Amino acid sequence: MAMTLLLPMLIPLLGTALVLLCRPARLATQVAVAVGVGELLAIANLVRNLHRAASGVLTSPYFRADHLTAFFLVNIAIVFALVLIYSIGYLRHIPEGRFSSPRWFYALLFLSLFTMVAVYLAGNLGLMWIFVEATTLATALLVGFYNTKGAVEAGWKYLIVCTVGIAFALFGTIALYLAAVRSGVPQEAALDWTTLMAAAPRFGGSADLVKVAFVFVTVGYGTKIGFVPMHSWLPDAHAEAPSPISAMLSGVLLNCAFYALLRFESITTRAIGSGFPHMLLLIFGGLSVIVAALLMVVQRDLKRLLAYSSIEHMGLIAIGVGLGSVLGLYGALLHAFNHSIAKCLLFFTAGNVRENFATLRMDKIHGMARSLPWTSGALVLGSLAIVGMPPFGLFISEFMILMASFGAGRYEIAILVLVSLSVVFGALLYHFQAMLGGEETTRPAHSGLLGTEFAVISMCVVSLLLLGLRVPNALTNLLHLAMGVLQ
Amino acid sequence: MGLVEFAAAKALASSAAFLFTTLLLMAAAKRISTCVVLFAVQCAVITAEILAIAYVQRSGEVLAVAILVLIVKVIAIPYALMWIVKDIKAAGEVQSSTTPAQSVFITAGLILLAFFAVQPYARSLRVDMNMLAAAIALLLTGAFLMVSRKKALMQVVGLLVLENGIFLAALITTFGMPLIIEIGIAFELLMGVLLMGIFVFRIRDTFEHLDVSKLRSLRG
Repeated sequence: MAMTLLLPMLIPLLGTALVLLCRPARLATQVAVAVGVGELLAIANLVRNLHRAASGVLTSPYFRADHLTAFFLVNIAIVFALVLIYSIGYLRHIPEGRFSSPRWFYALLFLSLFTMVAVYLAGNLGLMWIFVEATTLATALLVGFYNTKGAVEAGWKYLIVCTVGIAFALFGTIALYLAAVRSGVPQEAALDWTTLMAAAPRFGGSADLVKVAFVFVTVGYGTKIGFVPMHSWLPDAHAEAPSPISAMLSGVLLNCAFYALLRFESITTRAIGSGFPHMLLLIFGGLSVIVAALLMVVQRDLKRLLAYSSIEHMGLIAIGVGLGSVLGLYGALLHAFNHSIAKCLLFFTAGNVRENFATLRMDKIHGMARSLPWTSGALVLGSLAIVGMPPFGLFISEFMILMASFGAGRYEIAILVLVSLSVVFGALLYHFQAMLGGEETTRPAHSGLLGTEFAVISMCVVSLLLLGLRVPNALTNLLHLAMGVLQ
Repeated sequence: MGLVEFAAAKALASSAAFLFTTLLLMAAAKRISTCVVLFAVQCAVITAEILAIAYVQRSGEVLAVAILVLIVKVIAIPYALMWIVKDIKAAGEVQSSTTPAQSVFITAGLILLAFFAVQPYARSLRVDMNMLAAAIALLLTGAFLMVSRKKALMQVVGLLVLENGIFLAALITTFGMPLIIEIGIAFELLMGVLLMGIFVFRIRDTFEHLDVSKLRSLRG
C-alpha cells in the first residue's frame, strides 16, 4: 500500500543516480527511457489503486493521494512522456561539457520530476512547501543548462525571484498553521491537509489570520505560477532553457504551483467563505490575462511569445477557479490539462526552429512555410489550438470558463477574457504571417523533423483534436472525482 | 530564580536588541565578509533564543531545532559563503547603490516601520512585541539588502536575512513548526545556498564580473 504511493517518487530519484553513472550518451538515453517507462507504470498503478480504494484516498505518513492528485499525476505523466521522447532527438547536438552532457540533462530532468511528483503526493502543507521550493532548485540548473550569458542570467533571476516568492508562501503557510493551532488543532497535525479541511469551519475566530495567510500564499505560489506582476522570471527562464525543458516548465511546473494554491484555496474557502479568496484569484487572473496578451504583441523572440502565452493561460485558469461555480472549476482543470499539451506542441516546434535557424528572433526568419513545411504546419496548428479555435481541446475549456462567467453574471470578466483572446489572436497572426510567409532569407540547417520529433508533435496534435471533439470518458470521470475532493 | 532561568529570561528579553544591532551593522558594512560574519552572529542570537524557549518549554523537539539551526545557519552556511568569497578572489566590496550612511538611515526607518506594523497584532497574538517587530524588521531589511546591493553574493545574504525573519516569526508565534518540517526547510536552505554558489561561479565565468545590476540583457 505504502509502496504504491511512494514508488512514483522513488523511481525518478533512483533514475537520477542511475543516469549519472552512465557516461556514454547512448547508454544514458537508454537508461533514461527505461526509467521513464517504469515511472509511467508506477503512476498508472497508483491511479488504478486509487480508483479501487473505496475511500478514494491512499495515505502513508506525510504523503497522501486523492483524486485531485490522480488528475494532476495523469497530466504530469503524459507531459513527461512527451518531453522525454522529444529530448532523445533534441539532445543529439548538445556538446559534452562539464555539466551539460546528456547524462546531466536526464539526471536533472528526473530530479525535477521527483520534486514535482512529490508536491502532488505531499499530504502536509509544510512538506508541500519544501517540495515546491525543491522544484525551483532542481529546475534552475536546467534553465541555465546552455551556460551562455543569457542562460546564466535567466537561471540566476529564476532562482532569486522564485526563492523570495516561495519564502512568502512559507510565511502564509505558517500563518495558516498558527490559525489552526489557535483554533484547537494539535500542533503535530496542524499542517496536515485532511485535518485542516476537517477543522477549517472552526477557524472563524482567526479569520484575519486566514486571510493574511491566503494573501501571502497567493503571492508566493503566484510567483511560481507566473501571475502578473510577479512574472518577471518566467519569460527569461522559458526562453533560455532548452526547448523540452521550456515545455516541461510551462506544461507541468506551472500546474504544479497552481495545484499547491488550489489546496490552500479549498481550506480558505471552507474557513472564511469563498468571497475573499475568489476575489483575489479573479484580480490576479484578470491582470495576468490582459497584461500578458498586450505584451505578446511586442515580443520578438518566439519562445518569449510562448512564455507570455503561458502567463495568459494561467490567468484564465485562475479566473475559472475564481468564478467559484462548478462549471468554472471544471473548465479551469480541463484547461490546465489542454494547455499543457498545446504548450508541449508549441515549444517542441520552437525547438525545431532554433535547431534550423540558430535563432528564435521572429523578425529574422522569413519564408519558413516554404523551407520547413512540416514544422510550419505544426506551428500553425499549435497556435490555432492555443488561441482556442475549434476543433481543438482548448476551445471547449475556454468556452466553459466564458460560460461560467456569463452564468455568474460577471460580464466584465467575460468581456476582459474575450478582448484578451482577440488581442492574442491578432498578435499571433501578425508574428507568424511575417515568419512563415515572404521570401526565404536564411536556409535551414537541415530540413524537416526527426522521426521521434515528428512522432511527439503528431501525438500532441492528435490528442488536442481528440480532446476537442469529445472529452474522453475516463478524463471526465477523473475530473468529476477531482472536483469532489475540492468541494 | 536560578542562574539558568535568569539567563534564559535575559536571552529572551534582550535578543531583539541584538538583532536590531546586527541589522544596522549589516547596512553599514562595506565588505561582504563582514556581512557574512554578521549573519552568523544574527543566527547565533536566534539560536540562543530557541535554546531559551526549549528550556522554558522543557521541549526536546525545540532543542533539536536549536542544534539544527546552530549547525546549518551558524556554521555551515557562513562557512560556505566565506569559502566562496575567498575563492572568487573578486573585490569583496558590497557595492551598494546607497551610501553606508543612507543605508543605516533606511534600515532604522524600516525598524520603526516594523514596530508600527506589528502593534495591532502583537496583543491579539499574545506575543512579545519587540520580537515580532524584530522578525518583520529582518524581513524588510533582507529585502532592502537584496534590491540595493549589486553583488550577487549580497543578494544571497539578503535572502538569508529575509528567511531569518520568516523563521523568527514562526518561532515566536507558534514555538516552531513540527520537527520534520524544520529539518526539511533547513536542508532546503542549505541546498539553495549551494546552488546559488554554483551560479555565482557561473556568473563570474561567463560575465567576468559579479555585478548583478549589469545582468540586463533579457528584457521585455
